[in-house]
Amino acid sequence: MQSIKKLKEYGIFIAFLLICITLTIISPQFLTISNWLIIFTQVAINALLAFGVTFVIITGGIDLSIGSVVAVSGIVVATLAHPDQFPLIIPILGGLLTGLFIGILNGFLITKSKIAPFIVTLGIMTIGRGVALIISNGRPISNLADSFNFIGGGEILGIPFPIIILIIVFSVCSIVLKKTVFGRYVYAVGGNEQAAWASGINVNQVKMAVYALCGLLSGLAGILLTSRITTGQPNAGVGFELDAIAAAVIGGTSTTGGIGTITGTLFGVILIGVLNNGLDLLNVSSYYQQVAMGIIIIGAVLLDSWNLKTNR
Amino acid sequence: MKNHIFLLTFTCLFIACNSSKKEEKDQIVVGATMLSMQTEFIVNISDEMQKKADEMGVKLILVDAERSPLKQMEQVESFIAQKVDLIVINPCEVEASSPAVARAIAAKIPIVGVNSATTIAPNAFVGSDDVEAGRIAMKYIAEKLGGKGNVLMITGFIGQSAQIQREKGANEVLKSYPNIKLLATQAADWDRAKGMDLMQNWIQSYGTKINAVFSQSDEMALGAVKALQASNMKDKVIVVGIDAIQDALQAVKKGEMDATVFQNSKQQGAGAIETALKLAKKQSVEKQTIIPFQLVTKENLSEFLK
Repeated sequence: MQSIKKLKEYGIFIAFLLICITLTIISPQFLTISNWLIIFTQVAINALLAFGVTFVIITGGIDLSIGSVVAVSGIVVATLAHPDQFPLIIPILGGLLTGLFIGILNGFLITKSKIAPFIVTLGIMTIGRGVALIISNGRPISNLADSFNFIGGGEILGIPFPIIILIIVFSVCSIVLKKTVFGRYVYAVGGNEQAAWASGINVNQVKMAVYALCGLLSGLAGILLTSRITTGQPNAGVGFELDAIAAAVIGGTSTTGGIGTITGTLFGVILIGVLNNGLDLLNVSSYYQQVAMGIIIIGAVLLDSWNLKTNR
Repeated sequence: MKNHIFLLTFTCLFIACNSSKKEEKDQIVVGATMLSMQTEFIVNISDEMQKKADEMGVKLILVDAERSPLKQMEQVESFIAQKVDLIVINPCEVEASSPAVARAIAAKIPIVGVNSATTIAPNAFVGSDDVEAGRIAMKYIAEKLGGKGNVLMITGFIGQSAQIQREKGANEVLKSYPNIKLLATQAADWDRAKGMDLMQNWIQSYGTKINAVFSQSDEMALGAVKALQASNMKDKVIVVGIDAIQDALQAVKKGEMDATVFQNSKQQGAGAIETALKLAKKQSVEKQTIIPFQLVTKENLSEFLK
């Protein structure tokens, strides 16, 4: 009995291993260090977004605005990061604060107006896209300083810088969620909001905090993306929210709230990355790549609901 | 032709000075629906249209179809309801935007297509033939390779007319070079970051076998260049894009990209408005004005740099 339960819990992990083993057999390039460095670099942006949205989904909310936040913060960053304009810290702060601000705005509207998070963040998503287009006049902003481009393209001891950011953010997020009082409040709010409120948790404050965190991480993702492609693009990040939510869901975060881990989400992120990478290596047509991704998302949710049923 | 423009400008100025109340009735109103105002090239065409409209004293209503053929049709319908004098359409899609053209024709409002084609022909079309762009780019690669080598193709968003036609043109050229092998074709959705990711993955699977990359847009080509640079392979691989955006021209200047293909937004935008106004005055127009693409390399770069 115990082993069957374990098997279900680790279902995603097993699926992940199976995919990796298959890819290793059919593509000799798959299991090389250089390929894995590439996979981790490519998933870094989605990982930052997925970590943020995991917090939000655990509280029972959703954030659809993150793709637009990536664009706005990217444009703000690019505007501030021309060569010899400001010290490096200014564009970075600009990007982070932009993300944080939009996150707080989301949280404020959701807690004060009692409008569903889905609707609020949908509105902010559209507004954000518009703002990015307004600031940039609909054109990409290029000619950025070399020091800034290091964030997305540089290496330390052979490890691409985006991977270092990924490791740091992953560590911080999982400690916050697992080991702190705040983390427990996040689960409590998502598990049963009334009960959390009755036991003296400031529900609104917790919600504000998760949206702010999600915004902040989206801002960071915007900085990373802008630096990686060395331009700020107003149409960057379209559909990123869906990739991030997909990663969280594949990683076992329950869309009804109260369940989810940062490690699980990281697995979801890597699974998506491995699939994209592997299907490219095998030269599988883009048509099939989309079908494969959809099957995995639905499979993950099925597994999740199966888990819930058998556990209760 | 120039005389007419002057005449029209004067007429409009005259009207504008004479009676501001009557202005709304007498001024020619052009409704224009554009594929996407989030794409630099389309924004450039729109700007040129606006410039020309201002110059000729025409009122231009510019709307964004946001890549949705359905939205585009609704916009054309509302233009018809507003009784505009002329419609300019920059189609979202070859087939799906055709009904919009048909509505305008049925409402007897002259409609001019700009940039890309529709199955149902508008009264006049001003634009470029994307098949030609694909041909020019691939031909350059084939000649650079001396007719022998391995090529990768990065395509735009699958199913869009620019993607289909640029691929068609490239494949036509490849047919006449049997010793050039197309290793793989994958989509990167016109996106620079996606182009970079795809190229990184390709470097893993094909490595030094890669001799050239044809990217259907400059954005994706610039992403591919970044990936190649990171692997120290740029010197050995030819990279060619399409669109001649400023970033790409800079890259050609620095030798990071080998060539790009210039699409003339100025002639397309201004041409569309001019043609529309001729239609309004019932003058004869060319059914199709094809503005040629031009190959841009280091040699002729200075003509295109802003």
